[in-house]
Formats: sequence, C-alpha cells, structure tokens
Amino acid sequence: MLEVNIKRSLPGFCLSVDFSINQEILAILGPSGSGKTMTMQCIAGLLKPDEGYVKLNDKVLLDTKAGISLKPRARGVGFVFQNYALFPHYTVEDNIAYGMNQLPKDRVKTRVAELMDKMHLTGLGHRFPRQLSAGQQQRVALARAIAPEPELLLLDEPFSALDSQVKERLELELLNLQNFYKGNILFVTHNLAEGYKLASRMAIYESGRIVQCDLKNRVIGSPANRTVARLTGVRNIMLGTIEEIAGGVVRVMVPELCGIIKVKTENTDGFSAGQAVYIGIRPEYIHIVDQPGDNTFQCKADRIVDGVSLINCFFHMSQESMDRHWIEVSLHKLHAPLIAEGHECYVYLPPQHVLIIKD
Amino acid sequence: MTDSYLAPLWISCKTVLTTTVITFFIGIFVARWMARYSGRGKNLIDGIFILPLVLPPTVVGFGLLLLFGRNGPLGEFFSWFGTTIVFSWPATVITAVIMTFPLMYMSAKAGFEQVDINVENAARTLGAGEWRVFWTVTMPMAWPAVVAATILTFARALGEFGATLILAGNIPGKTTTIPVAIYFAIQAGHNDRALILVAIVLAISFASLAALAYWKRKTPKTAIIKLTE
Repeated sequence: MLEVNIKRSLPGFCLSVDFSINQEILAILGPSGSGKTMTMQCIAGLLKPDEGYVKLNDKVLLDTKAGISLKPRARGVGFVFQNYALFPHYTVEDNIAYGMNQLPKDRVKTRVAELMDKMHLTGLGHRFPRQLSAGQQQRVALARAIAPEPELLLLDEPFSALDSQVKERLELELLNLQNFYKGNILFVTHNLAEGYKLASRMAIYESGRIVQCDLKNRVIGSPANRTVARLTGVRNIMLGTIEEIAGGVVRVMVPELCGIIKVKTENTDGFSAGQAVYIGIRPEYIHIVDQPGDNTFQCKADRIVDGVSLINCFFHMSQESMDRHWIEVSLHKLHAPLIAEGHECYVYLPPQHVLIIKD
Repeated sequence: MTDSYLAPLWISCKTVLTTTVITFFIGIFVARWMARYSGRGKNLIDGIFILPLVLPPTVVGFGLLLLFGRNGPLGEFFSWFGTTIVFSWPATVITAVIMTFPLMYMSAKAGFEQVDINVENAARTLGAGEWRVFWTVTMPMAWPAVVAATILTFARALGEFGATLILAGNIPGKTTTIPVAIYFAIQAGHNDRALILVAIVLAISFASLAALAYWKRKTPKTAIIKLTE
C-alpha cells in the first residue's frame, strides 16, 4: 500500500498530487514537464517537497508536518532511471550486487545469478555497461533495482530510449517481473499503449496535478476531462449543447457535426438540458456507411493516410460550417471500404461509444 | 660537496610529498562539498578558496607571515606549544598547501560536477550512505580529473618559491627547497650549482609525470573500490 501526498513549488510551476495504490502497477502518463519525474524523485527521497506525506506499507517515508524525511537509502524504494544510470566502472555482476552489500557473500552470489537468469543476462556478468546493448543495460538496471527487494519500484520512462523490437521484449519482461517481484510498481511513460498494456491503474498528469487516477478501463472509458481524453487517444473532441436527457440517452447538438448526436450513457448525473459539454469519440469506433440515419453525418474525405495495417481518414462535414474541423477515422485495412480523397460518404458514430467529457 | 645538493633535494621531497597528500585529501573533500552545495554565498566561498591562485605568491607569503608571525593570531597560538612556524620546515608545507589547494579544489570540483547525479542517486536508492557513494561512485567516475588535479598539485608544490621564501626563509638543511636553493645559487653567481639543481628538478618532474601517467591509465578506479569495499 502506497500513499502519496506531495506539494512542491518552483517559480512558474506547482506540483500538487495525492494518490494511493495497493499492490498494483500504476502507469503515470502526461505531457513533458507535468511533474511526473518530480513526483517519483520525491517518493524516492531524491528531492524534498515543500509539504508532503508518503507512506509505504507500514513505514512512513516522509511526513513534513512531523519532521520525518527518511534518506533514500532507508526508504526501500528501487529506482530505474531513464538513462539507466549504471555504474560504468563496475561489471554487470557488481552493478546488480551493489545494493546487497549487507548480505553474506554467498547469498549475494546466488541472488545475482538468479536475477541474471530471470532477466536473461546469463553470461554477461563480467562485462561492463559500455559493452552492452541498450536492452541489456535496461535489464541490468532493472535487476539492480530489484536485487535488494524494495517494497516499491519506480521506473522513469523505462522504455523510451529503445527501438520497438527491444521495447516489446522488455515490456514482456516487465509483465514477467510480477512473477518474482511482489511490490508496488510505478512507472512513468509517454506511451499510452505501453501504459495500458502494463499497468492496472493509470494516473494522468497535467501541469503538476493529477487529473484522473483510476483503473485503466475507466480512464479510457470515462476520461475526466479533455486532456485525459486527448492523452488517451480520443482524437475527436467537439463542443456541443445538451438538448435532452431521457432514459439513458443524451441528445447533444454539435455544431461541428451540423446535427444532433445521441449518446448512450449510464451516468447522467450532473448533466442538464442546455448545458455545454464536449463529446468525444475514438477514431477506431467510427464506421463509414453509405446511408443517412441516426448519429450518421454526411461528410467528405479530405485526406487519407495509409499506415501498415490501419488507414487514417480525415473527413470534414459536407455542409460547410464556419470552422473547418476534421473527424478522424481509423479503419483496419481488412474492413475498410475503398475511399479516396474527395469522396463523399457518411460517418456513423455509435451512441454507446460516444463519450461525454465534462470540460 | 654532494650533501649540499642532497639537502635541498631531501627537503623538497619531504615537502612536496607531504603537501600533495595533505592537499589531495583536503582538496577533494572540500571540492565534493562545494560541488553539491547549493546554499547561499556559494560564489563567495568559491572565491575565497581560489584566492591564493589569483594573488601574487609574495602577497600570500606576507599574509601568512602576519598570521604566523610572533604577533599574529596563529603565531601566538603555536608559541603556546613552544613552536614557531615561521622559518621552520612545516612552513614550507603550509605555504605549499595554501598555494596548491586552489588547483586541487578547482580541478576536482569540475570532475565531481561532471559526474551524472543520476548515477549517484542510483547508489543512494540502493542503500549507500554518502561516504559509500563518494568512494564507490563519485571518485572512480571523476578519477581522471582527480589524477590531473594531483599532478598539478605536485608540480606546483615542487615549484613553489615566493611564499615559501617569505614564510620559511632560506635555512640550508632545514627550509631550503630546491627552487629557493636555485635562486640563491644564481644570486651568488654559482651557476654550475644552479644548473645541477635544475637538472635534479627536471629528473624528478619527468619521473613523477611518467609514474602518474602510468597510474592514470592502469586501474585507478578499481584500486579505490577495492580499498573501500
């Protein structure tokens, strides 16, 4: 169980976060400079917040009101830095063994061998970091951090510097890690897909604050605001006015779509007719159809971007509205109808996949 | 005749070696403190430490003379114990340490500042206390800078003249270092004596540089690690 409540001010920036997790993996997502790394450094004791309370299992690591601030070495928090921060003058074995110097020599040897085996580093023990590939260095950094069996593991953008193949393999390693590391894990990432894949819970940062911290399916399915929506891939966000709420269906007038969209939602609390809201829908949920109907809007294909397995189409509404906004649709090539730029067609936004976003 | 060469040689050796050891330790500890110090007056403190480098040696020498002289604060302190620093061998070490400290300090500090703080922080999260971080991470990673600083210190100590002459004077067999001996030999017109002394200095310098260069390339980092594990 990890409880974190931290405030730290710098000229022009203010970090103020409050969250807790319980034996899970938390992915921290957010734009650069939003305070993600600063939070992790405060939890690890590498930075001192102005005010804060951090409790890990039964141990209070930080309590500014009570004047408690444990040194990093006493916190039992493992940290994997973005650039790995391996000791360049130590071998792989000595790097991994560094945090275990309190243990008897033979115990250290067995544990190092065990970790190297689990992280697929066998045979590399006598090499120096500069003689390893980035993927190998990353695994050494992970092994080194978990060697002293910390109760919390912090990973700062662990995969950002790696090419996609290595990244995929290491993502599997991280999932695999849970088999032999039983503590809490927090990791910072820019990559939504990676965060979703590896974590059970997600926290979205914006300008020093956590905008939403929830189970991952709830963050994806009910983004708290437009920043969360955008960060989680809701590429189509439009402003509208609620016309009517009746029986789990909200009718919203959306000028950009030149029409009314129906949204099926279980949670209609806090919404009232006449209220301005944003609606959003992911590109992959929009269908292209050839007939008008409910939640179907006429449009024209502006641009088609051909990807490896997906096609991204950008449509604008046929009836020219004052602002020319695009609707982005993502189609799998297998199911995509033949569309060319300039094509006129209809897009259907399924009511159960349209999101209402408060602000 | 030869012992008049042996005397300055012996004194210089004693002085330079003692100075290098003292300056090495004081220099690296102060440099380490200042490299990570972010409090008020950092620039002022830094300036004070570098002062002996900037001032003319005779100025430093005179300042030390005032400090350690009969009426100076430290002079009175030492006379309590029945010793005088002025015109004694320890004076050669004191002046050499003061004159070499800025070099050791500046070079070592630059070296420590270059060490990636993430690597030091990694060590901290792995349970290392500040001393362990210093000896097993900071020093090995800053080693080339530290060696370079030591070489500078050694060379400067060997060549220290102005301040030494003022505080330690020219007492053959007691405080006459080689540079002082060379000066007085030239003054007295004994150029052959001066030349021989110069040759001795050159020999020492080359030998030391060679030794230090060898040391630097060898396995300096593991030496420190092995020593402190």
